[in-house]
Amino acid sequence: MMNSLFLLLFILFGSAILSYIGHRISETLGNIIVVVGAFSASIWFFVGFETPAEFSYKIADFDALWSFSSYSWIFAALVSILSPLALLYSTSYMKGKERLGTFYFNFFLSILGMIGITMSQDFISLFIFWEIMTWSSYLIVIYLGKDVEKVGIKYMIFSAIGAYALLMGIVLINREVGSLLIEDAFAYFPQIQFSTQLLIGILLLIGFSIKSAMMPLHVWAPGAYSNSPMSYTAVFSGALSKMGIYGLGLVFIRLLSSGEFTLINEIFAWAGAITTLMATFYAIIQDDAKKLLAYSSIGQLGYIIVGVAIGTELSIMAAIYLAILHAAFKGNLFMAIGAVEKQTGSTDMTLVTGLIRKMPLTFFSTLVSIIALAAVPPLGGFVGKWMLYQSLLASEHFFLIIVIFTASTAAFLYSFKILYSLFLGQEEPEFKNIKEAPLPMLIPMILLSLFLIVTGTFPGILFEPIANGMKYLGFNDVNWNMSLLVNAWGDEVNLQHVSMYIGTIFIVAFIFISLKNRKRTRYVTTKDISTSGEIPLPHENLSFKLNFYKPFERAISPVMKKTMDSIYDEIGNGLNALFQFIRYIYSGNGQGYALYVIIFFVLLLLLKNQIFGL
Amino acid sequence: MVIADPIYYIVLPLLTAFLLPLFGKLYKPLIGIIPGFVFLFLAYMSVILMIDIRPDNPIITKIAGWTPPFGINLVFSSFSGFIASLISIMGFLIWAYSYKFKKVGFDDSLKYFILLLLVVTGSIGIVLTGDIFNLFVFLEITGISAYALTALYRGRDGAEAAFKFLLIGAFASSMILLAIILLYTQVGTLNMAEISVRMHEVDLKIKVLIFILFFVGFGIEAEMFPLNGWVPDAYSQAPGPIAAVFAGMVAKAGIYALVRIIYLMFDLEGAFHLLLIMGVITMIIAEVVALRQEALRRMLAYSSIGQMGLIMIAFSFNTEQGVFAAIFLMFNHAIIKSLLFLTTSFLVYNTKTKLISDLDGFGKKMPLVSLLFGLGAFAIVGLPPFSGFWSKLYVLIAAANQHMEVIIALILSVSVVEIIYYFKVISRLYFRKASEEIPIQKPSLNSSIVMIVLGLIIISVGVYPDLITGLIENATTSLLNKDLYIEKILPGLAEIIN
Amino acid sequence: MNWSLILGITITIITAFTVGMFYGGISRKVTARIQNRVGPPIWQNFLDVLKLYSKESAIHHGWMQHLGPLWAITASTATLMFVPILNNGQFYQNLNFSGDLIFLMYMMVFGQLGMALGAGQTGNPNSAIGVSRGLSQMVGYKVPWLLALVAIMVQYKATSITGLIELQNQIGWLMFASPFAFIAGLLAFIGMMHYSPFDIVFAPSELASGPPSEFGGKYLGLMMTSGSIFTFAKLVLFVDVFLGGASNILELLLKTFVIYMIPVIYGIVSPRYRTEQSIRYFWGWPTFFGVIGMLYAWYMIS
Repeated sequence: MMNSLFLLLFILFGSAILSYIGHRISETLGNIIVVVGAFSASIWFFVGFETPAEFSYKIADFDALWSFSSYSWIFAALVSILSPLALLYSTSYMKGKERLGTFYFNFFLSILGMIGITMSQDFISLFIFWEIMTWSSYLIVIYLGKDVEKVGIKYMIFSAIGAYALLMGIVLINREVGSLLIEDAFAYFPQIQFSTQLLIGILLLIGFSIKSAMMPLHVWAPGAYSNSPMSYTAVFSGALSKMGIYGLGLVFIRLLSSGEFTLINEIFAWAGAITTLMATFYAIIQDDAKKLLAYSSIGQLGYIIVGVAIGTELSIMAAIYLAILHAAFKGNLFMAIGAVEKQTGSTDMTLVTGLIRKMPLTFFSTLVSIIALAAVPPLGGFVGKWMLYQSLLASEHFFLIIVIFTASTAAFLYSFKILYSLFLGQEEPEFKNIKEAPLPMLIPMILLSLFLIVTGTFPGILFEPIANGMKYLGFNDVNWNMSLLVNAWGDEVNLQHVSMYIGTIFIVAFIFISLKNRKRTRYVTTKDISTSGEIPLPHENLSFKLNFYKPFERAISPVMKKTMDSIYDEIGNGLNALFQFIRYIYSGNGQGYALYVIIFFVLLLLLKNQIFGL
Repeated sequence: MVIADPIYYIVLPLLTAFLLPLFGKLYKPLIGIIPGFVFLFLAYMSVILMIDIRPDNPIITKIAGWTPPFGINLVFSSFSGFIASLISIMGFLIWAYSYKFKKVGFDDSLKYFILLLLVVTGSIGIVLTGDIFNLFVFLEITGISAYALTALYRGRDGAEAAFKFLLIGAFASSMILLAIILLYTQVGTLNMAEISVRMHEVDLKIKVLIFILFFVGFGIEAEMFPLNGWVPDAYSQAPGPIAAVFAGMVAKAGIYALVRIIYLMFDLEGAFHLLLIMGVITMIIAEVVALRQEALRRMLAYSSIGQMGLIMIAFSFNTEQGVFAAIFLMFNHAIIKSLLFLTTSFLVYNTKTKLISDLDGFGKKMPLVSLLFGLGAFAIVGLPPFSGFWSKLYVLIAAANQHMEVIIALILSVSVVEIIYYFKVISRLYFRKASEEIPIQKPSLNSSIVMIVLGLIIISVGVYPDLITGLIENATTSLLNKDLYIEKILPGLAEIIN
Repeated sequence: MNWSLILGITITIITAFTVGMFYGGISRKVTARIQNRVGPPIWQNFLDVLKLYSKESAIHHGWMQHLGPLWAITASTATLMFVPILNNGQFYQNLNFSGDLIFLMYMMVFGQLGMALGAGQTGNPNSAIGVSRGLSQMVGYKVPWLLALVAIMVQYKATSITGLIELQNQIGWLMFASPFAFIAGLLAFIGMMHYSPFDIVFAPSELASGPPSEFGGKYLGLMMTSGSIFTFAKLVLFVDVFLGGASNILELLLKTFVIYMIPVIYGIVSPRYRTEQSIRYFWGWPTFFGVIGMLYAWYMIS
């Protein structure tokens, strides 16, 4: 009997290979394999583990252990839910593209990487899966062949820096603890010399926070998120970035638990908050919906980082909750934008317009996700933000709240922009024949939207596994209610009352306004509007889209002058110049090389006393 | 039962090399086939010998019946045997890759195979010999055949490269020879084991002088900075498989000799520091320069130097873990770099300018070769689950245990650079549209098989490193246990002298 | 069914509507008098709404436009439900205990978002411009508003409004106990009321009243209703937080009226700010006072 964990990876790997082969034969066969593989892995994940499964082995003299902790289970569940939906979506979204086999191969491998990360209870397999996830996602990022040099290399450089920071931390842990099991590391960590503790902590944090796109290490993310096919970005931003959060949680709560590291917590919390604010500002000025969502992802991850870094019971709960919610609404949004891209061929918000009547369901799921993203009650997003603010208030991080609350308010700007630009506004004749997205794309979007609606009233369905997972992090009895939020001072929000009230009033007012009204009115086009007596010509542009938030841009222009990208570019150029200079050491001149040999020999003779201590 | 004796490593290829013209007279295709049988036999013998070899029972072969210290002996220990086996197996693979050599474009297979045989003999000789002067001889054999191989294409560039190689190689020879002479005047013997025992009699100043001579001499072969000016030219001008030979054998033999000398004969603390410093400088400069290369072969050559730097760093720790990591690196580098050079040879052959920028869209034109190149690139930069990851991990662990955080950070930073330039190539191969349709020379079946085999080794060691770690552990023990080495070669000598 | 709750909700909404409408009328009258006009009678708003409700729309631009005003009324009454009208639950309690300040802050945006979406579907560029300005300006005044509220929440360790009112029964009004937060809050509040100089969102002469420009009949009536309820809700909230709430209707009317007149009077004598000017204004002195208030709160607890 095969180990159930091993079987899970085996299903994923098998699906990767089979879908590659399948897509070489025919697209339909490949798609069937993709969907069956994805769902069977997911189903196996949820039903295949009656008892806590374990798989321990030795690889190259390192003890390795696979098992889901209650904490990592949350993240694995997130991957297992989001990825089959994204793959189902993908079968339709990627229709007719080239090299689908490679795409799905890498897609499955990165899912395998994520599942592997969550099941690794030792650093060595964690790192291996981490790298598998990284390079498979890299291959997807550059899959469409856009900006390969710029975006792909940037992603790879930052991933490599992150991974190597992680690796350095891991080898130091190995030296200090003598074992790479995560539990051993937690147990023996407090006995390590303080400076080493600090070094290990910082290295691991850098490693994990790069994946969760924290400023100033985020510059890879906008390009990488917007350049991969949207079906993958849904997972990339929704689940893959959460692997960083998963790691940050482990490091902040379990590893750096001694209370001597509050400064690091503060620094990361502030970095998270500034990430949120700046990413929101950048999202506001974007004109491409994909880029906008990419920056928005960075911003949302910032909240989660704040929550993890603060490290109180409520903040961790908020962070994990937000991580799950973010996966749902951002996954949904990327899918919706992908649907728009698929149907209209563009995601340029100044170009695409007035799709609401053509793609009502896509609009609906975008709307729901946006409401959740903007944390407006009564949808699920609000719950997470509320808990986060309450935890910050209770832990006396006042200015932090201001920063992230401001960011949250500014998020309305881009939230509205994306809804307005793509779906509302003037209806143009060039988008007259657009149809609603096909069913395989709609089903995941609708399911995720329903999830967001339900969690708005009953967040308890998520609190249960979260509370369970937080036991692993050392918070043993976490209070939670099915639909009641309570803060540290006993103030509460009753979500059922909120939803019931909003629902009732909405229905009453709806009846009131629709009675004798809706039926008798007739629909007029968006050209038929009040224009102070002037009649617009048929081709007159009535759209207000370009520089939508120009006044706001002007107001925030002082902080937007110097981007992180430009700083990195300068560093890159400087290094390049230096490298070019070093390159001329190899002049290609044989005599020069011979001279080097002699100089080296003479130098050694001269310095022999210093070197050999004569 | 086949007769398995280390002596065959030397005798058989040497003899074949001399007889090959005769075979060629008899029947032309024999030129290609005979070396194959020789390599196959050597590879097979390696397997047979490696099965039984343990750190405490090295095979010692006396040449012409003279016992050491008077005669020349070959020592097939876990360490030298491992490297020798590696070289012979690589030799067989490279032969298999190139046995239809003339079809690849040049009709001078006789020279090619003779020189290939000689370079393999020389490299294995360097590794196996227990006699310092004998080592020098083998070094010369390797060197001269390597110069000739570099110039095999008889072009202007090839000749220039060979000349540079020759010029710097001459320095190496003269310095090593000088060192040997000095050493002989001091200890009165050429047997390495005996030298090791008698080394404490030597005055420290002379000892250091001898060491420096050796260090520079072998440093040239081991591609140490700033002695490696010959490398990029030689690697990029030699025929494709020969670049693999250089990376997989010649450089390995050079570093082996350097390490053997340091570990066995010179008990100098400063030697390790020097090796560390030079390793770091070599690695950094080479990788940085590799980043700025436009020709694929040259890029690989610099990358190769960088890897040699890393191996030097690993050896310089002078700990069990360090040596383990270094040997693992040598193994990986031999396999992976060979694969890279072999695939590159096809990639470059189909471009006009041999530049990286010409490789757009080759993933479609040459799927297998590109895939294997990508695999090699992934492995060499140390991405799991490929073999390169494990060796890099062990180097880092060894460095960590030496409390050398800065070295770790340097190695990792350089790895980032490595990733940048390898991924640039990969992204061109796969994610760029091909510029024009030019006829493509497809890889022949035999070379495809060789490349696939190398790829499979990379993957299987990557997924299951324990395949190879046992052998490497033995090799490590064998290298570090200097007393055992002396005791086995010259029983009782140590007691007599001390 | 909880009939008393439904009755309470109904009465609260009617009260809010009436008061809000009258305040609107008064402000029109006051503005007119200061500008040396006669001005409409103070019940003019009632007449307007009545007229609008009795009209029938002939056209619509689609579902989102249809839902926009609904959304607005839902949000404004919801805000009202969670704000205690009078102290000690003398008035109907509605849902006072089911939400807190942070919840309210988000709830208050809900309606604006719906309105903005409804306005967006009409395709009128003026609407979109108005929304763009409104949202931008919102980010502006939210900063001092947040600073003020967070300072109070932190200092008194309460996020529920009922909690804050009870507290003020013991220590006196927060406008004296936390003066800097009060100033910041008041300045932000002026912006929140969208009177001049912060009326670029609706900018009657420039944008044809901005977001609502494509709405008429019942839609506009509903939006006006929602607007007056929302005004009242905001006033009550401000009074509850800073002025110790009110123990009877008269006191409530007095306090809210005083607060209401501040932006009105301030607006009459001020020219209109451009969007970025108003944002910069809010991020200037009001934010400064907010920060001072926050530091003060911090000092008080530590």
